[in-house]
Amino acid sequence: MIKKEMIYRNPLVKLGYDNEDILSTGGFGAVLAYAGVGKTALLVQLALNMMLREHSVLHVSLNDAVSKVDLWYQEIFHDIAEKFGIAEVNEYWDKIQPYRFIMTFKVEGFSAPKLEERLTDLMEQNIFKPHTVIIDGFRFDEAGRGQLVQLKELAGKYSMGLWFTVHTHRHEPPQENGLPLSFLHIADLFEVIVQLATKGDEVYITSVKGQPKNSAQNDLLLDPATMLIKESQ
Amino acid sequence: MKIDDQKIRNIGISAHIDSGKTTLTERILYYTKRIHAIHDVKGKDGVGATMDSMDLEKERGITIASAATYCEWKGHEVNIIDTPGHVDFTIEVERSLRVLDGAILVLCAVGGVQSQSITVDRQMKRYRVPCIAFINKCDRSGANPFRVMSQLKSKLGHNAVAMQIPIGLENDVQGVVDLVSMKALYFDGDNGETVREAEIPSHLLEEAKAKREELIDAASMFSDELTEAILEEKEVSADLIYSALRKGTLQREITPVYLGSAYKNKGVQPMLDGVTYLLPCPSDIENVAIDMDKNEETVVLNNDTEKPIVALVFKLEDGQYGQLTYIRVYQGTLAKGSTIVNVRTGKKVKVGRLVRMHADQMEDVESLRAGYIGALFGIECSSGDTFTSPDVNLTMISMYVPKPVISLAIVPKDNKSQVAMAKALNRFAKEDPTFKTYVDHETGDTIIEGMGELHLDIYVERMRREYGADVSTGNPRVAYRETITQRADFNYTHKKQTGGAGQFGRVAGYLEPIADTDFVFENKIFGGAIPSQYIAACEKGFKQSMAKGPKLEFPVTGVKVVINDGASHAVDSSDMAFQAAARGAFKEAYLRAKPVIHEPIMKVVVETPAEFQGSVMGLLNQRRGMIIGSQDEDVMCVIEAQVPLAEMFGFSTVLRSATQGKAQFTMEFTLYRQVPQSIAEKIALEAAQNKKTAA
Repeated sequence: MIKKEMIYRNPLVKLGYDNEDILSTGGFGAVLAYAGVGKTALLVQLALNMMLREHSVLHVSLNDAVSKVDLWYQEIFHDIAEKFGIAEVNEYWDKIQPYRFIMTFKVEGFSAPKLEERLTDLMEQNIFKPHTVIIDGFRFDEAGRGQLVQLKELAGKYSMGLWFTVHTHRHEPPQENGLPLSFLHIADLFEVIVQLATKGDEVYITSVKGQPKNSAQNDLLLDPATMLIKESQ
Repeated sequence: MKIDDQKIRNIGISAHIDSGKTTLTERILYYTKRIHAIHDVKGKDGVGATMDSMDLEKERGITIASAATYCEWKGHEVNIIDTPGHVDFTIEVERSLRVLDGAILVLCAVGGVQSQSITVDRQMKRYRVPCIAFINKCDRSGANPFRVMSQLKSKLGHNAVAMQIPIGLENDVQGVVDLVSMKALYFDGDNGETVREAEIPSHLLEEAKAKREELIDAASMFSDELTEAILEEKEVSADLIYSALRKGTLQREITPVYLGSAYKNKGVQPMLDGVTYLLPCPSDIENVAIDMDKNEETVVLNNDTEKPIVALVFKLEDGQYGQLTYIRVYQGTLAKGSTIVNVRTGKKVKVGRLVRMHADQMEDVESLRAGYIGALFGIECSSGDTFTSPDVNLTMISMYVPKPVISLAIVPKDNKSQVAMAKALNRFAKEDPTFKTYVDHETGDTIIEGMGELHLDIYVERMRREYGADVSTGNPRVAYRETITQRADFNYTHKKQTGGAGQFGRVAGYLEPIADTDFVFENKIFGGAIPSQYIAACEKGFKQSMAKGPKLEFPVTGVKVVINDGASHAVDSSDMAFQAAARGAFKEAYLRAKPVIHEPIMKVVVETPAEFQGSVMGLLNQRRGMIIGSQDEDVMCVIEAQVPLAEMFGFSTVLRSATQGKAQFTMEFTLYRQVPQSIAEKIALEAAQNKKTAA
């Protein structure tokens, strides 16, 4: 039941991305938003979705400690599952938790070779093999294209999809295609790009790139607490 | 009593075994005139300073390593608080680190930064205790304080900066050059008690100038005034340097390093000066408490003497006049005759005798103000209790006491040990709320319970060392639990008619699982099917059944019992009969409610150099561990995992050998989780075997 609820309320599927995984193998996805709008929450929700489908998710955080990232997952999961019995929720949580692995790095210490080193540690011993990697807090403005190309190679080599949070700035007006100028030179590396924006107290998700042509909707209203589609929709 | 808060120092001396902590403490007490003769620590047989100090204490009847020893140095009041030498993460360690404002990190000039120093340092980092370093044993052959300083930087990540350079090393150790005053310091007299200032020997002048430059450079990061003075090439005063260094030290951004040899009476007094110049006074440190009236919100305490009292009991000691309760006052003034409340028990007590501890005597005082450390007499309490004024409800530590997850049978070797053991157990249970003890009625064994293997090991060791109780221990046992997973109905009649008064009682209803609590009993009987006077007996009967589950005899938790029907007999029904009926009903329904075994899962945090990350993860994985995540922190890496306690026995040894002793771990109970089927079968088999052996 929890699984159904979660898949049903997945905003990305609702936006018309029909492939359940949304990204193809080795593909890049990005969630763009200003600070504090809910990039991490949206990706955690996406990760929970994967975990419920028994796909492993590696969450790499360059800002927060392991315990804080873990808290994100627990809170969002419990928010979504609040209408179900506590016993069922706990049982489900125990079941899906092994499909998640959190790694945190200091921003300046993170690089594709380092990530690969850690990944091989895990994979060689059969501890964890990610299906999807979430990278939260990557500094696009400082890293340059080279790092991303390396990560792309890594994604292809280990057959993973990579999601990034992209912090956009208010002082940087979007270009015609909706992307900020500082992101344009790397936009081609991404197959899916969505943007979160606020209007008053409400949060909208808009597809910027990769949405199938026949999809009915272009944007959706989200519940700011869970980053799931508002039930009224 | 003096009341200048700026002149109080509450410090700890942190050191690993055999780096000279006892000798250094002894010298400090001598130079501050708390003791009047120096006795050498004998018997360097590798057992280490902890043993030495214990023997010394016995021999001389004083408490060098007492919980808090008070001394004075150049107008400053210095409380030296005993920092437990053991490395694991128990409530006791946490408490003693809480009462410190600053620390001296003692390192050996030969051994340098060893893995034990890493542990000690990490504890201080965890509690953000500002520290200065003292490189001891400069008289030993192979002493190289500059190598130790570079290890301080590379291995511990300290921004270490030399306050002195040595005049002679090894056999030739003579004194030190103070880089702030640019004077040579020699230590004259039989016990080095007279510090003589002289000109710097010419062959050291260049080196001293270069090192002073480095010192001032490092200090200037924390003071614009100092930077300006350097740029304008003005005279840089000692006060300016010290105030900049102090700022950096308090932020833990810089570690001033002193050197010497406590054993040869060199360099101790300048280090004490360093304590007064550089380490924080109580009001420099922000202390927080938890407000029990406001949903456990954290409250910043104020060093104000006029505010309501908040004080923490951090150690208990058995003295000749009864229990001595060491206390640190964080806010307000604790005065003789004032009324205080123990927040844990809610009991009000009147403060009787109030003392401050010296090395070998105590001084009666009228009051203890915020920032002071002292001791109370005749107060019944446990270690870790918070005392406050009656009008506030603040606690210094969390009130949540986790239930023990591991137990161990202990057997005294002889009668004398039996008496000592009883005394020790009584004391430990008071000191540590997570440590419990009871007698198993089936086997007659004394059982101790605690939060982990190391936790119990420490108490067994303390029993031997401090109380002389020679005890042998059994194998540790994990505290498994049983619980049910589905609803099951019962309808049980207890009937006995074998001569004399009969017994009759019928209870009907159901059991169902319930989360977050052990036992709930609900009476849904209408119309008096069971007379109300027997309802309590029913509840008692069910509760009794919870103590030992019918499946494997582990305690049962998470059960809700609802009774909704029953029957009684005018003559044959009794409390006993309904208790028996309830027990029968529980047994009947329990096995149909699909019972499962739950095991304690520990949150294990391993801190390891990054190069061993892979192998540590492998070790955790082999132990049915679920790795939550890993955190890269420069050269070190922290791995967090959830591992069943049953798999953690002997982990410290395995971890040590896999990481060349460079990793350390902490472990605390986190939750109970269902045991996988294959393991449950194994546990059932073991339980059956144990039962056989007991029979």
